[in-house]
Order: sequence, then structure tokens, then C-alpha cells
Amino acid sequence: MIPPLFVVLLLLLGPVVLLALYSVNLRTNIPFAPTSFSGADWKDFLTRAGNPFRGRFFFSLRFTLLVSVASTAAAYPLAYYLAFVARRFRYVLLLLLIAPFFTSYLLRVVAWSNMMLNENGIVNQALWFFHILPHGHAVGWLLYSNFSVFLVLFYSWIPFVSLPIFAVLENMDHRLIEASTDLGASRLSTFWRVTFPLSLPGVIAAFVFVLIPTTGEFITPLYVGGPSNQLFGNLIQSFFGDSPNWNYGAVLALALIAVVLVLMLLFGRYLNTDLREQPREAA
Amino acid sequence: MSILEWGGYEASGTKAQTYGLKSGADYTKKYGASGITYSYIQDDDQALNKATQTQFDLMHPCNENVKDYIDRGLAQPWDTSLLPSFSQLNPDMVKIGQANGNQYFIPWDWGYGSLLYRTDMVDPADATGWELAWNPKYKGKISLWSGASTNFEIAALKLGFPHMDDLSDTELEQAKQALIEQKPLNKLYWSSEYDQEQPNFKSGTVWITYAWQDSFVSMTAAGRKCAFLQPSQGRLSWICGFMLGAHTQNYYHAHDYVESYINHASCVNMTNLFYYGTANTTVTPDLVKNKELVKALDLGNPSAVVSGSNHLQSWAPNRSQLELAWEEVKTS
Repeated sequence: MIPPLFVVLLLLLGPVVLLALYSVNLRTNIPFAPTSFSGADWKDFLTRAGNPFRGRFFFSLRFTLLVSVASTAAAYPLAYYLAFVARRFRYVLLLLLIAPFFTSYLLRVVAWSNMMLNENGIVNQALWFFHILPHGHAVGWLLYSNFSVFLVLFYSWIPFVSLPIFAVLENMDHRLIEASTDLGASRLSTFWRVTFPLSLPGVIAAFVFVLIPTTGEFITPLYVGGPSNQLFGNLIQSFFGDSPNWNYGAVLALALIAVVLVLMLLFGRYLNTDLREQPREAA
Repeated sequence: MSILEWGGYEASGTKAQTYGLKSGADYTKKYGASGITYSYIQDDDQALNKATQTQFDLMHPCNENVKDYIDRGLAQPWDTSLLPSFSQLNPDMVKIGQANGNQYFIPWDWGYGSLLYRTDMVDPADATGWELAWNPKYKGKISLWSGASTNFEIAALKLGFPHMDDLSDTELEQAKQALIEQKPLNKLYWSSEYDQEQPNFKSGTVWITYAWQDSFVSMTAAGRKCAFLQPSQGRLSWICGFMLGAHTQNYYHAHDYVESYINHASCVNMTNLFYYGTANTTVTPDLVKNKELVKALDLGNPSAVVSGSNHLQSWAPNRSQLELAWEEVKTS
């Protein structure tokens, strides 16, 4: 029997090794093309002044950071409501929250593009209906803009981001909150000095939940982004699909993997969301 | 049978064919439709990449890539004796598909690429040539295709370069700069004709878009006031057709399938549906319903793709440089 660890290593490391070979031109996607070791693509990406791919890399990191912070911040009150206010309806509400996610991600993105945000879409039609805008005058930046990419990513992640925060709040030892209140702390003070610090592992987990996948995101910018709003994932997808240059694409993919690895190392130790009291060791 | 195909060209009788195309009907009547699977392509570079990575029984590339498919060992020659309608095909187009004395490419459809624009939104004085896509007056209302080579051809025509598919390093750099300059004027680079280009033009999100003539026909039918630009520098033109997978296990099925596309009835239907030209010379102008369109698109002229000011899209020797440059344009 093959050891599971071997299978995991093979499936995880195998593709990365292949990428590494492509990135130094020891493999190529073009049949019969010669291969020989070359670091030219790495050099171009890392050192060429004004390299637009490197610029897009940093733009994408800033953008995903913004999406992650915003989604986490918006998800917190939602998770708080579910954990502390909704009481016995919390699981019904949770189910309602994730209900749209039973449909395909791609379909939801296309719906935002073709039904909601385009110039004849529901949002502009509502603005016309309520006479906020004269009929026929559409808000152009609703679609194919940084705004639309941000909005759709934000919408896509909120329910998933709520879950780890909800899990932490749900598992929190409520006696600590009661103790804080008994000792005279206000509700706000209790929140800032007890609830929020204790929920930080969930917040960080939620943040990482968005940050890492969004770093390589390409579907949403492809459908709702304009020419200047594409993310680094689109660039990689393009190098492997539309303008096939797998050697350069591998350089970009490995750069992204390196960033994700660093993020994982940075945040990995905060990913434990189980705050229940650990059983005491026998004396 | 696995087929690498553009959306809209699926065989009649398959579930995927929803546009009214009757091509392929003879094949599906004879063998049924369940054995056909389609993989879709959105531009020529993507098509070549997919064909390189996956073996297909049949592919539907355009003439500019025929050499690449042969050089990469992706295709094998056709046995034209198994294609009864082959003798009816335009000899000039047939010649384009030959290499080493073999017929690698069966021409089927041809047409033009140009700018489709709203005549009620765009000043006629501005609609003179490819420079319309560079007109800042229409910023945010323009949409070029995401096809790398096509955009460099457009830039080359706009800049007046003599060989749009064989650019020198300097010309390539100038074309790249021109496309970088044009980029902010685009609402989007469309990649799907039916999901992006036509819906955006129809909704008014875009007034000027790169298009093929079927979009002109569809948008006119949808009531949009529009015209298919005749640029002063000339339109782009193309010929597409079928190539047989190098390792196909469905050799005879593939021939039957292609025969069901290139025969007279199929080609008459295709031209009347999309207003593309066909390689089948028995499709004469009197068989096409809209005579004005036949005249406007020169569909009765067997040499239309290379006649007048039309520029037939051809093989580019510096494709990899061009593709990298296009990625730089998109990322800049």
C-alpha cells in the first residue's frame, strides 16, 4: 500500500517541480522546441525596470489585501449576530446565508455581470425607476472596473468568512463575558477587552481564508473586470491558455506560490479556532 | 469523436447546437449525436495551445495557424477521396491548406474582421478607419477582442506597416506602444462573442467593438443601428476550416463529419445564418436571402478575402514575441 504521505507529497510537490522545470526552460509547452537551462524569464520578471507583470503582482497583492480586510470586517458583525443574537434561529439563518452558494460560482459571477451591473442591468434600472438618474444614463463604473471586481469578490467571500468567526464566537466560554459584566465593564468594554481578543484566531483564520484563494483569483476579474482591472491570476491563466508561454507563466505561478507560502507561515499558527477549555492534565 | 470548436458551430442534432446551424445534420442522422464531444475555443492562440496539450480527432483552426499545427505534428493529411464535396471547394482556398503535397486543411468558412459601431452614437466623420478604436471621444465605449495576433494586425494597419503579420522588432514595439495607448479607451477586451461582445453591444455598454460579420447581422436583426466599418486601411479577412487530428482513432468518422459540413446544403444554411462566406463554390449569391448583405460583404466573390483592401490574416513568424508583447499590453 502506498503511504498517504507519499501520495500527498507527490500530488502537491510534483506540479511545483514541473513548474520549476518550465520556469528555467528545462521543459517547454511547444513540441520539438529546444530546451536548455535559462534563468532569463526569472531575470526579466525580477529585475527588468518597469516590468508590467511585476507591477501587476504588487497591484494584485494590494487589491486582495483590501478585499480580505473588507470581507473580514463585514463578516464579523454577521457572525456576532448569528452567535449571540439569533439564538435558536442561528443555524436557519446560517443556511440562508450560504443558500446562494449552492449554485455555481461561475454562474453567480456571470449573473453579476450580465444581470446586475451592466448598463441595462438591475442596478441601473432601479436608479432610473426611482428617478435618481435620467432614463438611459447609466453609471458606467458599475461594471468592468476595480469597483465591480471588489464588489463581486466581497460578495463571494462574506459567507465563508463568517464561518470561522462564527465558530470561534460560538465556542467561546461565555462565563468570561459574564465575569466581565459582573465586574462592571460596559458592553462595549466587554466586547473590546474580552470578546474581540478571544475571537482573534477566528478573525485571522477568516482573513487567511479570503486572502490566499483571492491572491490567485481570475474568474471574477475575467467577467466583471475591465482591461485595467485584471489580477495576477488572470496573467498566469493567460500565459498558460490564451498566449501560451508556459515558461514565463511558470515564473509567475512560482512567485505567487512563494507569496502564499509566506502568508501560510505567517498566519498558520493562528488557524486553531477551537477555544474550548482543554482538559486539565492529571496531577 | 472529440472536436476542438468555436461556440455556435456544433453539429445540428447535438444538444449544444442552439443557433439554427444545419451543418453536421447528415452525420448526426447517420451516427447519432451522443458520440460527439466539443472543447471550446475563444481565440486562435488558445486553440493552438489546447490542440498542443490535448489530442483531438478534429480541429477548426484558421489559415494563419495551419503551419503551426503541421509543424507541431498535431494534424495528419486528409484523404480527399472520402470527401465527395471536396471537388466543389474554392481551389485558391484549398491550396492554402496544402503542405508537402498533402491536404492538411479543408477550408469551410471565411469572413471579415472589422469594427462594428453604433451609427446613432458614433459620428460618421469619425468612422473612417481603424483609428476609430483610438478615438478618445469614445473612451469606455470601445471593446477590442482579446486575440493577440489580431490586435497587433489592427495596430499595424493603423500605423501603416506594410506586412501586418511579419513585423520587425521596431514595428512590434511601436505596435505594442499603440495598443498600450489604446488600452484605457476599452471598456473590456472581450473573449466570448456570445457572452460578452454581442450582449455588451446590444445593451449599449459598448458602441464600438471588434467583430465578425455575424455580429453585424445579429445586432441589426436585434434592432441596433449599426454598421460594419470599411476602414480606409482595409478590413481583416480570414479563412477557417478543418484539420484532422494526428492520432485520431475516428479517421473515417472525421471524414464523414467534415463532409456533412462542406456539402452544398450545409454551406447554404451556414451562409444564410451567419452571413459568412463558404469555400463551397456551388453556394451562389442567388441562394442567399439578403441580397444587400451579399453585395455589402462581397459574398459572391470567390477571391473576396484577398481582393480589394482586405488583408488576409496569415502566419506570423514571430508569434511568441507577439504573444509576450500582448501580455505586456494587457498588463500595462
